[in-house]
Amino acid sequence: MSADATATRGLVGLLDPRRYGIRHQAGVVGLVLLAVAPYLVPTVWVRNLTIALFFAMFAMSWDVVSGYTGQISFGHAFFFAIGGYSSALLNLELGLPPVVTVPVAVVVTVVAGLLVGVPALRLRGPYFSLVTLVAPTILLNVFILFSDTFGGELGLDSPAPILDFDDLAVTLVANYYLAFALFVGILAVLLAVTRSDAGAVFTAIREDEDAVAASGLNPAKFKVFAFALSAAVGGLAGAVFVHTPVGNPNPSQLLALTVSIEVIIAAILGGMGTIVGAAIAGIFLRLFQLYLGTVEYVVPVVDTAVADVDLLLFSLVTLVLLFALPGGIVRWAVHGGGAALDNIRGRDTATDGGRDPPDRDALAAVRESWREDVAAMQARVPGAEPGPDESAGGDRR
Amino acid sequence: MSTDSEGPETDWDDASDDAADTYGPDDGLLVIENLTKRFGGLTAVDDLSFAVEEGEILGFIGPNGAGKSTTFDCVTGTYRPTSGTVWYRGEDVTGVATHQLVGRGLARTFQSFRPLRDRTVVGNVTLALTPDRLFSLSGLRGTTRQRAVEMCERVGLGDRLHQTPSELPHAGMLRLELARALATDPDLLLVDEPFAGLAGSEVAELSELFESLRQEGITLVVVDHNMRGLLSLIDRAVVIQFGAKIAEGTPEEIRDDPTVQEAYLGGDGL
Repeated sequence: MSADATATRGLVGLLDPRRYGIRHQAGVVGLVLLAVAPYLVPTVWVRNLTIALFFAMFAMSWDVVSGYTGQISFGHAFFFAIGGYSSALLNLELGLPPVVTVPVAVVVTVVAGLLVGVPALRLRGPYFSLVTLVAPTILLNVFILFSDTFGGELGLDSPAPILDFDDLAVTLVANYYLAFALFVGILAVLLAVTRSDAGAVFTAIREDEDAVAASGLNPAKFKVFAFALSAAVGGLAGAVFVHTPVGNPNPSQLLALTVSIEVIIAAILGGMGTIVGAAIAGIFLRLFQLYLGTVEYVVPVVDTAVADVDLLLFSLVTLVLLFALPGGIVRWAVHGGGAALDNIRGRDTATDGGRDPPDRDALAAVRESWREDVAAMQARVPGAEPGPDESAGGDRR
Repeated sequence: MSTDSEGPETDWDDASDDAADTYGPDDGLLVIENLTKRFGGLTAVDDLSFAVEEGEILGFIGPNGAGKSTTFDCVTGTYRPTSGTVWYRGEDVTGVATHQLVGRGLARTFQSFRPLRDRTVVGNVTLALTPDRLFSLSGLRGTTRQRAVEMCERVGLGDRLHQTPSELPHAGMLRLELARALATDPDLLLVDEPFAGLAGSEVAELSELFESLRQEGITLVVVDHNMRGLLSLIDRAVVIQFGAKIAEGTPEEIRDDPTVQEAYLGGDGL
């Protein structure tokens, strides 16, 4: 680990002033491209880009709590669905305009998130994740049980649109910019929070909660904050989503297990605990998925059109990428780019005497702390052999 | 609590009985009264009572597995004690969360080092200087980092600021633990097994550091499983075995105590 640590750079590398310039320039270029995209691509892709932007927001919402604090949520769709359904129901049932229902939906999502999160965050590691896995399942069953209100598995009718014009193309472009504005706003807020002191505490919690407490910081407070922030972002994105032409309040778009899983894949592929990675991978992953669905090329041997097996292909490609780039695309690019620059400038990173910030794979940190959490939990079970002896010996690990 | 002239068995009872009666909230900076911690059927800490006086360096000594770290864990909020009371500055702090105790000036180091492996030495210390607030930009100002650097220099990590914890030698990890604890500006510092695995020269250096901390007004409790390295450093010692106190007194008294000698198999450990 130590050899790797000096050779590569990670999260802290994002704040390394040496590379500030180029990465920020790349980010600005990316945002400008997104800003002018509707004029560069055909209308159908404007629609796809809108979907991709919402998906990127979902992925960022996951990353701020799970990627940063290491509290892995397997059920983030819970937030998207509560946001989307709340806003849609308030609009459909009470006739309130989206400008009222969306903020209310965000509040409802945060409250629901706290109801689940505050007790769940007392559990550590895998035990927390199990709760988050169950939460959306319960919600889905409630929706099915009270189908008259929630529309069951088919979902609700489309609520009133936020932006609607006579010309479909204009409507799509307008909604694209709505999504783009929301995307930029969420990106800015999440970057600000994670680059402040709170971000340093979040990642410290991912490493070792006890060390954070021993540093005089309340881990529970920061975890709940990250969770509430994530709920607010997820709820906001979900709420606006259902008021656009690309989204509807139905389980397959907002609540299905696949939604929760795709969000995790996007954030990990982009680079867990970077926000930017979740944003980039979220956009590209969804676009790639939508593109595969349009490919009509017939694969010779199996005699099937690519479009018919798009989900299978998509999963295979993600799997390969996960193996090839476990640290995520953003880390890989920043590291690769940084090393290349160092070569060009004739700088030898290896003799830098540990100058490079450590590259700690976020997934590895989560894995390690899960192992400890499970061991600690086993130690607490009365009658378990190794637990008490270890504790008495002073070493809880 | 004279234990010199009596047989080992009676000593044992006397010591714990005395303790149970004598301590109150204001008997010291930190007072532990009748502390008991059970894990299932195993009693790790057994009706333990002692007081830490302000400004002293107290040795907290016992064989491996005697319950020293578990006592620390109960005092610092990692475990909730099964029964008993912990007073800090005259207030009942039993079961108070770790971060709150740290905020009140009671810090500790971990015997099994707990560094944050995703950041540098100075980054680890910076975290302990970060205010416990959700919205804070102290890290963006230079002063926090400057203080973190000073803290690292204080404990002798000045030339390793930008290394990762995994690059540090054993003694370096211990110094990092100390730097993090000191960064929280403690009044009372519990140091868990600082001398384990250290060479003689390192022990001397560290003892010097502890002495200078005491000069600055920090009260110290230093845990060790033997007294060899501690003798010249500590003012007083509490010795425990099987989670219960078996002796208390000056280093000389402890060394001559037959119960303690018995516990260490004829004084081998001392």
